[in-house]
Amino acid sequence: MADTNAPKPSSSVKLVLLGEAAVGKSSLVLRFVNNDFQENKEPTIGAAFLTQKCNLPTRTIKFEIWDTAGQERFASLAPMYYRNAQAALVVYDLTKPTSLIKAKHWVAELQRQASPGIVIALVGNKLDLTSDSAGTAEVSGDGDDNAEDSGDARKISTEEAKTYAEEEGLLFFETSAKTGHNVTEVFTAIANAIPETSLKSARGPGASHAGVSRTEEQRVNLNGPRDSHAKEGCAC
Amino acid sequence: MAMGSVSDTLWDVVICGTGLQQSLLALSLSRSGKNILHIDPNDYYGGAEAAFNLQEAESWVDRLATEDKGFFRSASITKPDVAGLSFPRAYSLALAPQLIHARSELLSQLVSSRAYRQVEFLAVGSFYIFKAPSGPEQQPSLVRIPSTREDVFSTTAISAKAKRGLMKFLKFVLDYDRLEQRDVWKTFAGRPLVDFLQEHFKMDAELKTYIITLTLSLDGKITTEDGLSTIYRHLTSMGHFGPGFAALYPKWGGISEVAQVACRAGAVGGAVYMLGAGIKSMATATDEVELELTSGDMVKTKLLVRGNESVGDGPSISRLVAVVGVLYLTTMATSNSKEVLSRALESFLSAMDHDQVPQCLYQLYYEQAAGVKQSRLDELTIDLPGPSLSLSMDDLLLKHVREAWKKVASDTADDAEYMIFTDREPVDDDDELE
Ligand SMILES: Cc1cc2nc3c(=O)[nH]c(=O)nc-3n(C[C@H](O)[C@H](O)[C@H](O)COP(=O)(O)OP(=O)(O)OC[C@H]3O[C@@H](n4cnc5c(N)ncnc54)[C@H](O)[C@@H]3O)c2cc1C
Ligand SMILES: Nc1nc2c(ncn2[C@@H]2O[C@H](COP(=O)(O)OP(=O)(O)OP(=O)(O)O)[C@@H](O)[C@H]2O)c(=O)[nH]1
Ligand SMILES: [Mg+2]
Repeated sequence: MADTNAPKPSSSVKLVLLGEAAVGKSSLVLRFVNNDFQENKEPTIGAAFLTQKCNLPTRTIKFEIWDTAGQERFASLAPMYYRNAQAALVVYDLTKPTSLIKAKHWVAELQRQASPGIVIALVGNKLDLTSDSAGTAEVSGDGDDNAEDSGDARKISTEEAKTYAEEEGLLFFETSAKTGHNVTEVFTAIANAIPETSLKSARGPGASHAGVSRTEEQRVNLNGPRDSHAKEGCAC
Repeated sequence: MAMGSVSDTLWDVVICGTGLQQSLLALSLSRSGKNILHIDPNDYYGGAEAAFNLQEAESWVDRLATEDKGFFRSASITKPDVAGLSFPRAYSLALAPQLIHARSELLSQLVSSRAYRQVEFLAVGSFYIFKAPSGPEQQPSLVRIPSTREDVFSTTAISAKAKRGLMKFLKFVLDYDRLEQRDVWKTFAGRPLVDFLQEHFKMDAELKTYIITLTLSLDGKITTEDGLSTIYRHLTSMGHFGPGFAALYPKWGGISEVAQVACRAGAVGGAVYMLGAGIKSMATATDEVELELTSGDMVKTKLLVRGNESVGDGPSISRLVAVVGVLYLTTMATSNSKEVLSRALESFLSAMDHDQVPQCLYQLYYEQAAGVKQSRLDELTIDLPGPSLSLSMDDLLLKHVREAWKKVASDTADDAEYMIFTDREPVDDDDELE
């Protein structure tokens, strides 16, 4: 007697973003969350957390997206950044070879630091700067020196990155935050790849029968029902 | 902030160390628009308040064995030959397993600065006393200390007479600071609290133990003045964030969690973070300091803030972190404190479950010397006090952080706005409302 009008179960998923400066991490998020793009986006300062829902046929995933903000520049991210992350987007700029090296470094770091079951997607961004962006799906070879002249700034072949992703068991996409190409697909693929078992239900109608776990009971909400400004009250 | 190398910027402030105080300073400056470089000689966050997984704990102990510096010494790890230990990253051993009382200013600051959203707090329900078996046939037990009116009424652990005495005392503490009440304890102020309890309240040994335990004083020698204020804090914290608990504990890594969250807030505000970079040498000019970092970089700053690394003259402590769940045992350091803690652990475990005494899977032992209690400010440098050894968050530290903040940000900041920030992102509470 399934109630077809009942809301789909919803779960939150913590997703972290990693990658060299200026590869387009924040732009991918901006495209995904606001369907927007800014030509000269500033290095990320000030905003480093966003949420966005992703509707799957059988459930809703609410992404809690943690953008990096400064601490990654010298590989100084705090453990709290990785903790409980169920998904990671490791981004490189496919016009910039060093950015793939950096991406590989982050993948290794995630495998060392993050939860064992984390879903990692490797994303080559700025596809619009390559000649195959319009959909003429011709995979370019390595090291075309005249790439930019011919309107193709690609420096990292699809093949190279894809092979690496397969070896490491990563999801792999080439995207353009500018045109929006493949951006939603990345997040949907991640949502689908997260094992059902690792999804903790968000509080809500779908979760109300799950029972309150012991840890949930112990948890304290500092902005709870009590008015924290009522300074002189006392329990005694 | 600047995309070039760290040497190209004249920093407004370089903060060295990511212990609690330096991290809170970074948080307090996170909306100031100042150019901040935050470094730490260690390759982990938290300094003396760090939290380690088992692997990190091992390399920490190894390093202490060869480097022998700072506040820590005599560190060792024992792994009893029993199965059951999970993977190293499943554990987080806090070097500073401090409770935070609900009324601590730290919590108000975490809330007003919006940093609290990323920390999970657990409620610390009750305080217990270990009771040795009273006879050969008896078992050791843990007795809960009644510390609210309801508790005192309902407890069966103490006599009716003791109940009246305890009630009278709790009532007294609730306005101990009123003028008339002060006269009662003024003459005892600098003397041990036990004397006051004995002479003024005529408490028996057991009640005195209860009260002294509530003060979390390691040697039991807390003064009347300090003792009354700690118990006042305990009583007024009770129920503040929910029924039945007076203190909180940041899940996952104790105070290190607070330090990490504060540092992230600093980074989000534009500060640059470098771990594994300490100060190798420094040279001061009239209005700037030049630092040579252990990473090889040369940096210039208008102000340097660091922690005072000198050992102070207070007593040292000994700590045993036991993985049975995670248990933290602390006592004053003495020549045999390691044995004392091992025996305490055994007694405690046997009191938890007589029939099936829980097994300890891993032990980390270390001693920690007290730091200097005062901060030092001059034109170009600020030395914050050393880390606190107290079992509960000591709000005095916050005063020093605020002083440092004032010095860094006095030109642009409004004291009334200290640590009061709005959420950077629209807060989405729809999980609760749906
Ligand atoms: C000093 C101290 C006092 C506490 N007092 C109380 C109390 O009064 N009331 C109460 O309800 N709870 C209290 N807790 C918390 C309680 O001990 C833990 O929540 C409990 O041990 C978790 O057990 P678990 O097997 O469910 O572990 P899980 O919740 O499954 O945790 C698994 C792992 O998480 C880490 N972890 C979880 N909790 C902690 C923690 N608190 N500190 C460090 N690492 C942790 C550990 O690595 C642990 O192995 C206290 C904890 C500490 C450290
Ligand atoms: N052509 C093109 N430009 C892009 C794309 N994505 C991002 N950019 C541009 O690349 C620059 C950097 O983008 P960001 O999103 O700020 O990069 P980031 O990785 O978040 O950078 P940091 O926050 O500094 O780490 C901006 O000028 C963007 O406009 C893309 O898909 N195509
Ligand atoms: Mg960015």
